[in-house]
Amino acid sequence: MRSECPFMVGVAGIGWIGQGQYGCVRRELRRACDDMKVLQSHLRDASIFLYPVKHFGRFDSVSRMTCCAVALAMHDAGMPYSRDAKQDMGLLGTNAEGCLQSSLGYFKDYVESGRTLARGNLFIYTLPSSPLAEAAIHFGLCGPLLYMTFPEPGVDQVLRCASSMILNGETSGMVVVKGDEREALCFILVRKDEGGSDGLWNLDDVVKVAREISLFAISDRKENGES
Amino acid sequence: MPPIKAVAVACDMVTPYGWGIDPCWQALLDGKTALGPFSRFDTKSFQTGNAGIIQDLSPDGEESLVMQMLRPLIAGSASAIPQDARVILATTTGEIEIVQQGVLNGRKDVSSGCPDRLLKKVISLCETKASGMVVSSACASSSMAIALGSARIRSGECSSVLVVACDSVSEFVFSGFSSLMALDQDKARPFDKNRSGLSLGEAAGFVLLMSEPRALRESRPIIGEVAGWGLTNDANHMTGPSRDGDGLALAIRKSLQSADTPPEAVGCVSAHGTGTLYNDSMELKAFKQVFGNGTVPVYSIKGGTGHTLGAAGLLETIVAFGSLRSRIVPPTVNLLEVDDDGHGWVSPEPCTFREPVTLTTNSGFGGVNCALVLKRQA
Repeated sequence: MRSECPFMVGVAGIGWIGQGQYGCVRRELRRACDDMKVLQSHLRDASIFLYPVKHFGRFDSVSRMTCCAVALAMHDAGMPYSRDAKQDMGLLGTNAEGCLQSSLGYFKDYVESGRTLARGNLFIYTLPSSPLAEAAIHFGLCGPLLYMTFPEPGVDQVLRCASSMILNGETSGMVVVKGDEREALCFILVRKDEGGSDGLWNLDDVVKVAREISLFAISDRKENGES
Repeated sequence: MPPIKAVAVACDMVTPYGWGIDPCWQALLDGKTALGPFSRFDTKSFQTGNAGIIQDLSPDGEESLVMQMLRPLIAGSASAIPQDARVILATTTGEIEIVQQGVLNGRKDVSSGCPDRLLKKVISLCETKASGMVVSSACASSSMAIALGSARIRSGECSSVLVVACDSVSEFVFSGFSSLMALDQDKARPFDKNRSGLSLGEAAGFVLLMSEPRALRESRPIIGEVAGWGLTNDANHMTGPSRDGDGLALAIRKSLQSADTPPEAVGCVSAHGTGTLYNDSMELKAFKQVFGNGTVPVYSIKGGTGHTLGAAGLLETIVAFGSLRSRIVPPTVNLLEVDDDGHGWVSPEPCTFREPVTLTTNSGFGGVNCALVLKRQA
């Protein structure tokens, strides 16, 4: 099947957010941001967010990190986007805990209010796919949207799943996000003509790059139980 | 070279109707609902006290509710599950009791409620040796899992995938849907003119997918084919569907293209049909976009089972295979007065169809949509 495919998959952009800093890999951009609470306004001032994110203040922390990481990756790819002009691009997310912290926050709030009144705006973030949905709405991405995790989660597994979805013709591009409350890494995967360079990076090279980004190298080692 | 077909060779489920496929299928045909009052937790502050509950489960048991569903189901079919089957687990909240206990009782190991931990337990139950993954995409989780599994088989990446799905009725989820005013005060009435919300339900099930050549080689009984799939997102609103149905219509068109099947070959549609005003209206608009003036029988099982969230798509796939086998469209349970937009499409009575193709659709929070094209020769 794969050998008959008239195109391959390349990586057009990579954005990342770590402890006190953020960046774009292909543009070799790295900036400090001591207070991650103001990251969105940093990115807006730098025209990395092309327009304000609606209801950003109501998002849970994973949704905020996800939206900022996607903005950085889109910027890295030089890819235009619009909430109104939707494009056939999907989102695939992963992390170790799913939406555990948001679920705990929602239920704690409900219990503290006497187990009579829950808050819908907290409830909507108790799905691991919700941060991806917030990003889909802001960036106008209408392809497949799903969260995945594995017994030993790693970014290479989700990259390969997203790549398969493009190769199988299910969508023309995928945004892949590995993110939690503290850090996020985002890739823009697109179709690449076979044999052409297109200025895109190969997936295998990108997996290596992802491992080289220090904050994620640390995360991966922890998840794999290494010291 | 034609693509490798992904076929279902084994399946089972537990629903509020009880253990197995037959009790659910027969009750749906009889127009009976499994929704009713329950006492698992106090519901007096919520919109309703009704849900689709599996009576055998114990909320105070040693195992989580979903494990109480999955253990007997998988044990009953363990010999049919090949060791090289890749497990795809679909769920929205999994073992949510662990999170509840973390808040209510100060339980420390709340991270054991993460979906990857449940996956490890399921893989252990199945005794498979291959890798596995969790897929979560709101109420389309299990239909997406079936699509992903079928895609892996079609691409030749593997020859056997076990899709497992589960979700339970919990105070956590019930309070949340009630806070969104999404529940019917009585029992869900999908596609009814006077519908006013969904009813929650709980269920678990599995579908064993296999490449057709392998299924034939191993003399497996072929239940039906997952012939195509389409996955989209509305990119519109977190809790409400796109009002025009464009996102779902695109998913359906993609699924038909993936199955190389024209719309006129579809014999009936298993809709998501939650009973909420906007979902059902959106679905009918999407169906009309795809099928035009030629009406196709549409049904929803959620007036019977309730909305089983991450398990819904898998249940509906199993019921749709039963529908294809008998060429009977089950009635839409609890439907009293058909919505003005649904005349000629939905019915409280069963009917027959001839075409060997069924479409199933699911949509969910965040605007996710999934359509599957299922086939079975008579």
